[in-house]
Amino acid sequence: MSSSHSYPHEPTGVETRKLGMWVFLSTEILFFGTLITTFMIFKGRDFPGIKLTDVYDIPFTSISSFILLMSSLTMVLAHNALEANDQEKTRVWLLATAMLGAVFLAGQIYEFTEFYHKGFELSTNIFSSTFYVLTGFHGLHVFIGVVLLLALWGIGQRQKGLTLEGGMNLEFVALYWHFVDIVWIVLFTVVYLI
Amino acid sequence: MSENHIDHPTPKKYVQIAIVLGILTAIEIALYYTEDIVGVFTDPILIILAVGKFIIVVGWFMHLRFENKMVNRFFTGGMILALVLFAIVMIERASANFS
Repeated sequence: MSSSHSYPHEPTGVETRKLGMWVFLSTEILFFGTLITTFMIFKGRDFPGIKLTDVYDIPFTSISSFILLMSSLTMVLAHNALEANDQEKTRVWLLATAMLGAVFLAGQIYEFTEFYHKGFELSTNIFSSTFYVLTGFHGLHVFIGVVLLLALWGIGQRQKGLTLEGGMNLEFVALYWHFVDIVWIVLFTVVYLI
Repeated sequence: MSENHIDHPTPKKYVQIAIVLGILTAIEIALYYTEDIVGVFTDPILIILAVGKFIIVVGWFMHLRFENKMVNRFFTGGMILALVLFAIVMIERASANFS
């Protein structure tokens, strides 16, 4: 069973690094909030060139979204396994999360390539630019997350493995990964469904 | 190191939460394809579903519902600032279109 800790010796009552991680995520919300706002300004307006609705593939993106959503489950199971000090399960779930993230990324690369071939390019119009910047930055975050997950998995392969003390690192990566997931929850609705 | 322990969900509970998230996603996709039937309610329902999924992931998977109030305020603060920015720009856009 996992647990939350209080830190009475810290002025805030929260472990400082953990608080720092949450502050970082808060700034990331503003970053993506700005990109989403910019995208929404141009969404629905008429621009020259092919439209996003002419090129996107909802069934394909839906499967990608589901894969990323399920990677949040494997991530939380990895965190849970580490708190139970089950090294083997922690490594398995970490690798599963990284693989699901990689599949999502591969899907995004495929999608971008298809859009390009159909004429919806970065420079097609200002709306296409906002689309690629928004979804591209999210993809970059997923890529960083996959690298962090694989790094943790690599650390877990060492003789000492992942420890509860070092487990804070896994918690940070888990927070980051779930954040990437919630951003996509918003993007999937705002960019593709509405 | 730690004094107050709060029990987090079990793996079984996490799987149940993931199933709920999957079902909500399936409803979203179904709504997209039944827009002609659902009509003007489609977009508001899609937004409500996205907000629901967002809250579930933040609350249960990110453990925000078990966290210190300070953490909660920082995250909520970022959300509010982003929403205020969004609202201001959208109002400005709407008024520019109107005039």
